[in-house]
Amino acid sequence: MPLVAALAASHAPNILLEPGAEWEDFMNLHHSMAPRGSGNRPTLNQQKKLRADAEAALGVLRADLDQAKPDVLIVVANDQFVNFFWNNIPTFFVTIADEVNGQFTRHKFRYRNHKELGKTIVRAGMHKGIDFSYGEHIELQHTQTVPLYFLLPEPKIPILPIYVNTWVDPSPSPRRCYQVGELVREVADNSSERIAILATGGLSHFPGSPRIGEIDEAFDHELLAVMRDGKGKSFVDYSGDDLLQAGDTEFLNWMVVIGAVGDAKATYTAYMPDFVATGWGFVSWRF
Amino acid sequence: MSCYHLSRLLFNLKMDEACFEKSLQDFEAVMNEYDLTTEERDALKSGDPRKLRQLGVHGMLCLYIKRLQPEFRDNIYWKQK
Repeated sequence: MPLVAALAASHAPNILLEPGAEWEDFMNLHHSMAPRGSGNRPTLNQQKKLRADAEAALGVLRADLDQAKPDVLIVVANDQFVNFFWNNIPTFFVTIADEVNGQFTRHKFRYRNHKELGKTIVRAGMHKGIDFSYGEHIELQHTQTVPLYFLLPEPKIPILPIYVNTWVDPSPSPRRCYQVGELVREVADNSSERIAILATGGLSHFPGSPRIGEIDEAFDHELLAVMRDGKGKSFVDYSGDDLLQAGDTEFLNWMVVIGAVGDAKATYTAYMPDFVATGWGFVSWRF
Repeated sequence: MSCYHLSRLLFNLKMDEACFEKSLQDFEAVMNEYDLTTEERDALKSGDPRKLRQLGVHGMLCLYIKRLQPEFRDNIYWKQK
């Protein structure tokens, strides 16, 4: 059956941190890394408004997800040196575990993992010439838990984490990520289950870079406009460097979902730069 | 030149509580457990992420040296992954 829902959402930690002391703490560490220091520090009221706006946007995505009544949610995200280190960096990794756990500050997460769907995707990939890495254990991190806190607060359905290497060079091309998404769509089409997919990350930000604090809002707005037009396939012509220079390397996660939705138009987009580091973006494709 | 061992120590400062605790007590002893050059040891002791970056460490791992600094030791950043 065709995919029943497709979503994309930023996973910036400060979406889930509490406005006030937790935000200040987070900003202090980040700004200590930025050579130009803290340019724009959002006031407490601005922090609260950002949280409220993000919750409203994620509320739309959650309503779309609930309405689609999915049997499983595929979560396409990147690691950031939690599960993978320089001894082995998988370009694409599928989780073949029974369950997956993680913690974000005081919030604990535990989901069943759809192992069989994971194996089906790995096998389909090998048939098509996309050779995924896979493994039986991962620890969930903010790249999954921040959006899941809002989108799937009760673990009523299993998830399936798929990792894309967006965080160390060399990383896959946008075109290759799109092809992975096409493969997921084919698997969904041939499945009797109701499959939903979520990409996380982005939009513009420079984690671990001296450019942290810069947000390329113009580039982000262009991405969202193209998705609303259903022309996301055109992003396959971007180079990795195009995304890197705009701080949008995590858009590679989104490229998988864009490959999965094909020419479908995004039905909802929201965007809010957080002043600290990241242009928060939220998208839903309602089918 | 690879900076694998330097990166590994920084990774462990965030991911391995035993390594972090031991580093607070005796960072020299921890550094001795890794195959580090003199330059790498000096960069670690300086506590300056920029010096670590110049040696080829990924920017995200450079940040982890801040966990040893009193100002950032209890930062919320270390309570999430």
